[in-house]
Formats: sequence, C-alpha cells, structure tokens
Amino acid sequence: MAAMRYAGLLCALAMCGCVGTESSSAKSSGGTLAISTGGDPDVLIPSLVQSVQGSQITDMIYDRLADIGDSLNIVSDKGFTPRLADHWTWGADSLSIAFHINPKAKWHDGVPVRSTDVRFTVASAKDSSLGSPVRPVITNIDSVSSPDSMTAVYWFHARSPQQFYDAVYQLSIMPEHVWKGIPPASWRASDAAKNPVGSGQYRFVRWIPRAAVELVADTANYRGAPKLNRLIWSIAPDFQTALTRLLTGETDFIEQLRPENIAEVAKHPELRTRQNHALQYSFTQFNLRDPANSARPHPIFGNRELRRALTMATDRVKLVRSVYDTLALPALGPTVRAYQTTDPTLPQIPFDLPRARQILDSLGWRVMSSDGMRARNGRPLQFTLSVPNSSKVRVQMAVVVQEQLRQAGVKVDVEQLDFPVLVEKERKRAFDAAIGQWNTQPSPGAVRGSWGTGGSRAASGNNYGSYENPVFDAYVDSALSSFDPATRKALFTKAYETIIQDAPAIWLAEPIQTVAYHSRLLLATMRPDAWWIHIPEWWIPADKRIPRDNAPPSATPPPAQPAGQKTP
Amino acid sequence: MIVAIVAAITFALIHIAPGDPFSAVMDNQNVNETVRQTLRAQYGLDRPLPEQFVRYVNSLAHGQLGWSFSHERPVLEVLGSALPNTLLLMGVALVGSFALGILIALIQVARRGSIIDYTLSAISLFFFSMPDFWLAILTLLAFAYWLPVFPVGGAVDPVMHESMGLGGRFLDRLWHLALPALTLMLLASAVVARYQRAALLDVLPADYIRTARLKGLTEREILRRHALRNALLPIISLVGLSFPALLTGAFFVEKIFAWPGMGYAVINAIGTRDYLLVVGGVIIGSIMVTLGSLLSDLLYAWADPRLRSH
Repeated sequence: MAAMRYAGLLCALAMCGCVGTESSSAKSSGGTLAISTGGDPDVLIPSLVQSVQGSQITDMIYDRLADIGDSLNIVSDKGFTPRLADHWTWGADSLSIAFHINPKAKWHDGVPVRSTDVRFTVASAKDSSLGSPVRPVITNIDSVSSPDSMTAVYWFHARSPQQFYDAVYQLSIMPEHVWKGIPPASWRASDAAKNPVGSGQYRFVRWIPRAAVELVADTANYRGAPKLNRLIWSIAPDFQTALTRLLTGETDFIEQLRPENIAEVAKHPELRTRQNHALQYSFTQFNLRDPANSARPHPIFGNRELRRALTMATDRVKLVRSVYDTLALPALGPTVRAYQTTDPTLPQIPFDLPRARQILDSLGWRVMSSDGMRARNGRPLQFTLSVPNSSKVRVQMAVVVQEQLRQAGVKVDVEQLDFPVLVEKERKRAFDAAIGQWNTQPSPGAVRGSWGTGGSRAASGNNYGSYENPVFDAYVDSALSSFDPATRKALFTKAYETIIQDAPAIWLAEPIQTVAYHSRLLLATMRPDAWWIHIPEWWIPADKRIPRDNAPPSATPPPAQPAGQKTP
Repeated sequence: MIVAIVAAITFALIHIAPGDPFSAVMDNQNVNETVRQTLRAQYGLDRPLPEQFVRYVNSLAHGQLGWSFSHERPVLEVLGSALPNTLLLMGVALVGSFALGILIALIQVARRGSIIDYTLSAISLFFFSMPDFWLAILTLLAFAYWLPVFPVGGAVDPVMHESMGLGGRFLDRLWHLALPALTLMLLASAVVARYQRAALLDVLPADYIRTARLKGLTEREILRRHALRNALLPIISLVGLSFPALLTGAFFVEKIFAWPGMGYAVINAIGTRDYLLVVGGVIIGSIMVTLGSLLSDLLYAWADPRLRSH
C-alpha cells in the first residue's frame, strides 16, 4: 500500500521532470536513512546537549578523542578505540594522559584538527558561565595542555579507575577557530550553533525546526566515508504519527516501540525489530523526609520496615508484564544489567503480600474501616504518588502500584503532573512519593549523586528522596576507586544489597530498548548507551534502494563560521 | 488594547506556573541545581518578575517579541517561520469549509424533510460534536495508513522535496496539506452547514421568495439567486467567529500531522515553559482573532447595503 502511494507521488514528480537518477557511484555505498523521531534536538553543541535527538546528531557530526567499546568498560583504557586521537600515552604517575591527534583529521571546513582544539573544548566545558551539564562530571580533570600542535595532555587531580573514560567519553572535541570569539554564555544563541562544524563522518546540512534535520556523508573524512550517504531525522511530536511514518515507509527507523505497537509492526513483513539493553531504570521513590518540615522524618516513609512492607506488597514481575509486556525486566536496584559491575542475581525483597500485611499490622497500621484501608492513631495509611503525565508507561505503572498497594490496605492517590511541575516538587522535596526514571551513563558512579548522602544534603543534589546510609556511601566510594574489576563488582553488589534492603524506593522496571526498522537496512551492533553510534557502518544494499536513497542532499554544507561571528 | 491585556495576563500566568524552561535538564543524573541556576541567569530568569516584564515591554516597544529558549532564536523568527504555514492551513480550511458548508446547506434545504436532509444533518452533527484531535487521528489512520493515499505528516517530504523541481515542490506541498486541511475543513463545515441551513430556512417564508415563486422561477433558481444571497449575512459573521475556533483547532491538528505551524510551536512551548514564545504566540493569535472580527465587520458592511448607508 505504501508502494502504491509512492508510485503515485513519483508519477506526479516524473511529470514535473524532477526525479533524481541513480549515479554510478552509488553501487557500493549510498542510501538515505530516515529516522522517525519525536522532537527537535535541544542544541547541536556537544558540551551543552541534553536531548537524545541532540546527542544522536552531535555524535554523528563531532568526534571524541577515543570511543568507549561496546562492552562499556570504563576502567582504564581497555576496549576504547581511537577516534581523533590515533594513540595515547599514559604518564608515569598515571596523573596525565597524552593524546596524539590523528594528522589526517580535519574539520568539515578543511581546517586541520589541532591539540589546541582539545584544550579549548575542555576549558570551555569547565567555564561556569557556559552552564555545561558535563562540568560536574569532569572535575577530576585539572587542565589540558598542548605541548605541540598534535599532542593534547590531560592532567588529573587524582588517579582514578575511570579517568580515561572521564577524559574521552564526556566531551566531543569542538573547533576552537569557530567558537573562540563567542562568549560561552552566548553559545546557544550563536549562528555557529545553528551551522555546526565538526570532524565526524557526517556533515551538517540543515535543521528545519519542527520538521527535519539533515546530515550528509563526509566523504573525505579521516576515518573513511560512512556507508550511508544521508541521514534525516524526520520530526513528529505525536508518537502515533512518528510510528505511522515508519509503517507507511516514509521513514526507515524508529528508536523506541511501545508494547502495544509490537503486533502492528509484526503485520508488516518488510519491518524488523531488534532489542537492546538500555541504560534506564524506573522506580517509585519515597520521600524519607517530611515535606512540611524536612528536619523530621516522613510520617509514613521514615520507617524502614514500612517501606520494606510496601515493596513486599508490590508484585513487580506482574507490574512489568502488564505495563511493558516483554519490553522490560523488573529493575534490580539503582543500576542496570548492562553494567559490568551489576550482578543480575542481586537478592531482592520478595513479593509476599501476607507478610507485608503482617508487618503493617505489627507497626500499628491496622485495618480500621470497611473499605479495608489501614490507619494508625486516626491517621490513614495514605499517600500521594506523583507521576509525569507526559509518560504513558509511568502513569500506567502508578495505577498498577495503586491497585497492588490497595490490596495491602494502603490508599494511594495518583497525581499526574506536568513534567516541569513534578521536577519542581521533587527539587523542593515537596512530595510523598513519585515514579521516577534515570537514564544513566556507562559509569555506575552517578548512583552516588542520585542515592548518596551528598546528593541528599546538597541544596543542588538530585537525591530527591533524601535516602542516607553511610554504609551504602562507603561501598559506592570504595567500588568507584577500585581498579580490580572483581573487587569493583563485589563492592557495588554490597552497595546495591544495602540500598535494596533499605527500600528507599520500589525498583520497578528496566526497559529493553526495542527498535523497529525497514528490512532493507542492514544494522551494525547497537551500544546500550547510544544505539546510533555505529550508524556510519549501517548499510543499504544497492538492489534494495528506493528513489529517496538516490536523491541528492538538499544543499551543500554551509561554510564555516569565522571566529568571532556575531551572535544574534 | 485587547492584545496588550491578553499579553500581560499571559505573561503573568505562564511565569506563575511551576517549573521553568530548564526544569527538563534536571532529568539528567549528572545535572545539578548549579547548572540550572547558571542557565536561568544566562537568560535573565533570575531577575524579579516585574523587571522581566519591563524588559519584555521594552523589547515589544522595539518590535521584538523576546527570545525563545527552546529554539534559541528570536520569538519573532520562530513565529515568522511558523505563521505562513498556519495561515495557509487556516486559509484553505476556511475557504473550503464555507464552500462545503454552504453547499451542504443548499442541498439540505432543497431536499428538506427528505432522507438526504436528515442524513446530512446527522453527518454534520457527527463532525460538529467530534473533538478535533480525534478526527485528526482518524483521518490520519484512514487516509495515510489504511488507505495510504496521503503522507503521514509534515509540510513537505523532508527527504525528496529539495530534489524536486518547482512543479514537484508545489504538488508535494499540496499533497501534504490535504489531510490537515481536510480535517479542519470537515470540522468547520459542519458548523457552517448548520448555520446556513437555519439561515436559509429563515428567509424562505419571506415575501420576495413568494414573489419569485409566483413569477415562475424554479426552486433551484430561487435558492441560488434570492434565498442564498440574503441568507449569507449571518454566515459572514461566522467568518470572524471561525477564526478563533480554527486557530485553536489548528493547534491540535498541527501536532497530530506534524504540521510546522504556530500551534505546534506554541503547544511545545507550553510544555517546555518557553515563556516568551507562549506569550508571542498568544499575541499573534489575539491579533489574528481581532483581524478576523474586523474582516467580518467589513464583509458584513460590504454585503449589506443597509449598513453601508448608515
């Protein structure tokens, strides 16, 4: 049916004499990848990007010094592959790493990549006036020096197992000659931000807000030309619209299917799906402090045994099955299975409704009313569960949690909130419980900020539930400073066991990323933190190409922005 | 004056709403409050609200609508690129809905009391009572998926459009306009048809219609030459009233069809707390509604000689 529609359009276009023809050079490599996506990128500056679309696009345009391997090892440099740096040398005391720039590497405007670009990138990310989200995670980097034009030396405050990861993963290198004349506070608004010049295997062509972003292969790239000629992110804010574009053949790829879409996609023999571990976990977070007075414990969740009883009353396997079908697994704790440091057999608080009822009885929360709800000293066992209305699955999980806890005699009021409103409530610790989700990075270290004492006590911390346990903190700190993988894993296991038993949250689901794509597309491996990272290796065989694969790019890539470009 | 009041109220309301344009950055585990405060300071959101308002009024006085946080460009530029798309969609829908609505009403009145009249009334009522976003989804599924004759969304084909010739681009644009325009047209034509049918039935008992019948004119000629012209006056008022309805309808239809218009931009802006884009959208919207009312008055005066003589 989709072919019928395209045939109609092509007839019309042919009448206008405007269909592109396949060039002879398009036999081995070529093709266009059209990706259905839900929104515009936030910004196309690597050190400022936050959105997933922004990450996908900047990762194609810009390069890091080295790239993490598919195993996501973050200790030392094992598994990392050269990118802008063709090799690197560790300092004798391991407090410095010298990265040697690939002499063939050039920016898309033809200017060679130099070590001063690396120094500039790190210095600007550490500049407080830029407001880079990367700044808090590169604090171990003291500075970068450039002893010669092809060598950038990173200097660290302390030796750390993941110092190489910190140096290369967090930042893609940006061209100093484009950015140096622009004050960091004006970067987002600058013309340079709208015409990014990188060194990656794809060059920027155009960004039509609310419609599309287009990249084209950099055929002269120092890493070689990518296999696909053109990448297009086709933007549709409504998920159903984005999916229908894939189903009708308007696009080739969608990054996240929902459980209810699986059957529909299966009806299309030309479509394939692939599942991939993702770095996400969701949870019902309890506020352990009283929202009315943070100096006091929460009247309900301040009690560890009660939190454990609520966890016991929640059938997480059934919850995940009913909300995600097969597209998620029960979460193990504040971690994900893709981490090498995660033991997938971590002991959990089991689902045991009779035992949960016994614990609640023993704590004095007894069934007092005909509706089966519990109370103690006249106070009902009741709380509000906040959830962002923008997330359909989180709303569904809230409803299931509400029903499961009702069976234990706990009354839950589900409160759907606009996402900014929910964030504001969490930031001010003005909530009872909330269904949250963290999208993590390859390092498990972020758990320290989200669940550790530091993240609880700092006014700027994101441990919104104020869980504090020095034993957990100590295990995490020890694990993060350990160089031995086995010790590291053992210590993280101890940390996770501690927090699971303390139950500051009910660990709900670990979604499995399920992508759908057209069968003419041959994919490479997908990395859990970034499915898109190997797009330059994706491929469409010549005999499976369709007219859009041979359409020329929309325009030649824009010229480079000179240094000191005026900003609007 | 109306526009200024609307702008001031919207400015206050959107700033009072919890959260800010940088709440979403807190969804990243690595981001802390310090980063958020830096971003707030970069855009002057750390200043007292009255000061922000004075700055905004000052920028309005200089012909600017402020800065869009989510698009990182002037609001005027964002809305300037979106407004033509919205006007195109609304314009086509407006003309189409009045043409279709009047035609339906004429058929109904010509066959009044028949099964055709009742069927068309039922169909009009069906579309009249249907939520715009729901009809948009149904239209999308019906004509882009089950019977795939139109594209799923967007204003043009993002992959092929640039490689087309002038004629091809024009056809591509029309092809993409069809479904969102049809959706809005169906919604608005139901209203027009009901109003027009009632207006026609009102004028049919008039003396001049009876005279026309006595002169031997056919029912078709009477309807077309005499009844319709006189029954158009109340419909002209509806042109002005349709502007706000079409504009708000376009907001949801644009989102479903990924039509890069003003509604799509403003709806996203509300979710991301892009304050000045929301206020700018409301200002442009209120100007459009005001102009719609003015247009309606002018058309009314043009169509009714009695008003002209006063």
